[in-house]
Amino acid sequence: MRLRSRTWLVTMTAAIALMSTACAGQGQGGGDAGGSGGPVTLKFWNGFTGPDRAAVEGIVSKFNSSQDKVKIEMEIMPWDVFFDKLLPSLGSGTGPDIAAMDTAQIPQYAARNVFQPLDDLYGPQGIDENVLVRSAVDATVFKGKRYGVPMNFTTLKLYWNKDMFREAGLDPDKPPADWDEFGDYARKLTKDTDGDGKPEQYGLAIADHATIAMWPILFWQNGGGVVSEDGRTAMLDDPATIEAARHWAGLITKDKIAPVGLSGADADKLFQSKKAAMEIVGPWMTTGFEQAGIDFGIAMPPAGPKARVTLGTSVAFTLSSRATGQKKQAARDFFAYWNSKESQAYWSANSGFPPNRTDLTADELKGNPYSALFGQDADKSRFYLAGVQEFQKVNETLFEPALQRVLNGKGDIEQVFGQADKEIQAVLDNAQ
Amino acid sequence: MTTSVPAAGGAPRRRPGSAGRRQARAAWLFMLPTMAVLGVFVVWPMLQALYLSFTDYEVFTPARWIGLENYRALLSDPAFGNALVNTLYYAAVTTPVSVALALGLALLLNRRMPLRGFVRTAVFVPVVISLAVVAIAWSFLLDPNIGLLSHWLSQIGIVSEQGWLRDPSLAMPAVMIVGIWKNVGFYMVMYLAGLQSIPTALYEAARVDGAGPWPRFRRITWPLLANQTMLIVILAAIATLQAFDQIFVMTHGGPFFRTETLVMMTYRIGFKEFQFGYAAAISWALVLLIFVLSMLQVAYFRKRSVTY
Repeated sequence: MRLRSRTWLVTMTAAIALMSTACAGQGQGGGDAGGSGGPVTLKFWNGFTGPDRAAVEGIVSKFNSSQDKVKIEMEIMPWDVFFDKLLPSLGSGTGPDIAAMDTAQIPQYAARNVFQPLDDLYGPQGIDENVLVRSAVDATVFKGKRYGVPMNFTTLKLYWNKDMFREAGLDPDKPPADWDEFGDYARKLTKDTDGDGKPEQYGLAIADHATIAMWPILFWQNGGGVVSEDGRTAMLDDPATIEAARHWAGLITKDKIAPVGLSGADADKLFQSKKAAMEIVGPWMTTGFEQAGIDFGIAMPPAGPKARVTLGTSVAFTLSSRATGQKKQAARDFFAYWNSKESQAYWSANSGFPPNRTDLTADELKGNPYSALFGQDADKSRFYLAGVQEFQKVNETLFEPALQRVLNGKGDIEQVFGQADKEIQAVLDNAQ
Repeated sequence: MTTSVPAAGGAPRRRPGSAGRRQARAAWLFMLPTMAVLGVFVVWPMLQALYLSFTDYEVFTPARWIGLENYRALLSDPAFGNALVNTLYYAAVTTPVSVALALGLALLLNRRMPLRGFVRTAVFVPVVISLAVVAIAWSFLLDPNIGLLSHWLSQIGIVSEQGWLRDPSLAMPAVMIVGIWKNVGFYMVMYLAGLQSIPTALYEAARVDGAGPWPRFRRITWPLLANQTMLIVILAAIATLQAFDQIFVMTHGGPFFRTETLVMMTYRIGFKEFQFGYAAAISWALVLLIFVLSMLQVAYFRKRSVTY
């Protein structure tokens, strides 16, 4: 008995010791690695699970084999998993050194000191900002400091299904040029063949939640917006915003040119399955639409009454505030390599994104026909909620639900947007 | 453990007290692994969350003690009110429906019938599959454009223009149906076990006395299942008050928070908006709610327990 209880005691002690070392082991991930000799290892997380994954993996493996000082250990996971894991993992010291994310997401982390300012990585020695798309670099600014280095940049464009245009008696090579044509074409392309009140084919696929910004483009085109360009004033109750919302919500609820309640993925699926004739989205869908056998065209979205504008969007590299010294130097090498001429030519050829650099010639870009198209009109693009600290609250908690209420006929536009405007303003003021 | 070692010295005759202590010790030893796991993975995180609920915690900055501020904020937060109403609504519908369906299915499948094993299995299978996985399957079934279920429903004239999950008035029923479908098999099995423990002699005696099917159910089956019913109702209520998985997958709390339950809101406030202190307060409000409701249920059923 004595023996048994002692064995048991030893086993338990060992188990507890094992558990505590396992926990301690987790905590050590954040420390500086590679003091002498071996390469500096950087953990890099991102959410490029789509068709562009191969291009990301391609550049990372080229970088790893091009030198032996820095090793990038990349983990690719779906964006929702990525964002769920990021803050807790960084808090416990097991997170990535480099995290790539949409620039609109950066401020909420920067404000909590999760990331460090990267101004000192820019310059002739490191990342030359003069050859990069200016708006992409500017989009990483929060409270006067740059917290990111561009990983990709693109504008959103109007896709249209040429076969459906032909079928509806429209010229397949002439996309709508202004709002009147846009609405008119959308109506002509909407068909309820079995007469049950639910169209079998929609003129437009436009997402109202969990999406890259589509509705804000329409607001901007009418001189409105969700917030002002400096990110300080809520604009949902601006007459221009309300007018734009009323116009398009009317076309959607009365003429049924688009289904209500689509997420970004739903909207893409609708166009991909040939149930919608037009969509405003980025270059990441070209592969999927090609595979679906769609004969599509790409153009600048139709001009609005006040402006010819589209969304510019960019994913940027960020650096954990714990990655200092050697790690920061290593990260700079990687970011510079990513934005080198050679890598950017490879990136645009394999992803269909335009390059981050403005100094690549047309000849260097001929690898992918879409790349140049999406790079056009970069000067007519605007970033959504750039520099706004609480992107999540403003966009998903306040704006999108208000838009959904309006589209579902739950409340009058002025009242719903007016209320959301007040709440957004409170969030903006609170962050100042 | 060490204090009891001398007692284990091998005395030929043990006093009863020592045997009792020995038994108690053995019992504790058997429970220890479970208690260790529960302690590390349940009790400790709960206490940690309780502490956080009194702070203003955003992971990177150290937690700042703010007393009852989070709880005070809850009382005036319309989003909390909305989530509380949604949670109670979800529980108030799915709990009784699940229990009634489980009882009905158990009664049906307790008698001899063709394909009994197959039907029992079919009802039980959802229990063992991950809810998150089947929720994806249900999303496809309910898709307005490619969904099988939407297609069948449209054949009989039920057309949902936006699809169930995007329609503010149908999204909640949709996640309720999935919640019920998922759990009913488990409760059915518990009822089946209860039914089989009722002595057949009671039914034979009742039959001799001329009692029909309804009186037999009313006077024998239902009272003798009281213990099962108590357990099932409490388990079902606790499970439904914590509804999350299928809502997360199917609607993500939308459209415009129509399906946001308290657990969904905890997730949003914590992981999306980084207010971990406030999120912890919401989850502790839910703990209190579940505790009070469970106590009320126990008190209610205690009074009604019957033995023959």
